[in-house]
Amino acid sequence: MTPPKPHRVLLDRVSGYADEAAAYMRRRRVARRPFARLYYSGGRGSDHAADSVAGGELFVAAGRLIEVAGKRGRQ
Amino acid sequence: MTRGGILAEMPDAETSGAVAAGAAEGALAYLTEMSPDLRGGAILDSSGAVLAASEHPERWREDAAALLELADRAGEEPVEQVHIATEQGEVFALRHAGLAAVAVTDRFALASLLFFDMRSVLRDLAQGGDGRAGEVAP
Repeated sequence: MTPPKPHRVLLDRVSGYADEAAAYMRRRRVARRPFARLYYSGGRGSDHAADSVAGGELFVAAGRLIEVAGKRGRQ
Repeated sequence: MTRGGILAEMPDAETSGAVAAGAAEGALAYLTEMSPDLRGGAILDSSGAVLAASEHPERWREDAAALLELADRAGEEPVEQVHIATEQGEVFALRHAGLAAVAVTDRFALASLLFFDMRSVLRDLAQGGDGRAGEVAP
């Protein structure tokens, strides 16, 4: 059996990377959970879980803004 | 703390003067143009007044103030950036140069890019520009 042509190897490799990236994006969309992150001057940040008091309030406030913005500002 | 005063707690009040509402509206339009995921947004001054909003400015004023007030209460210092992702969409808020911008996007928006654009728009507005300093000439 003859070895594959060099450009085939390259194409397979690129396709492999693209497939992996697509799978990563699919997993990210499925696995990503709601979050509330606050950042302060100096680069410090903090996460607030939805079941914490502060987190719950932030999600409610964010929900109101999402409602004001509507489904889609433009098409 | 009153809702009207919460935007006064901006750590970097660098605004050179009053920002014209027309400039803020142009800046918001530019931000919308640059961010295809954007559903709506508002730009507010240091007193919490809405300089520009995609619609319903009064509701944007109240809800943005409420969000920033809650965010400030959640920590020990005034917050600079807020990013909240929900199933229905994502909310971004940024204080910069004595101004604040709030944006609502679809899910999975690129946070770093949006914050960069918001910061760039606010910086330019605060320096007396029209918010389009980052625009590349054709």
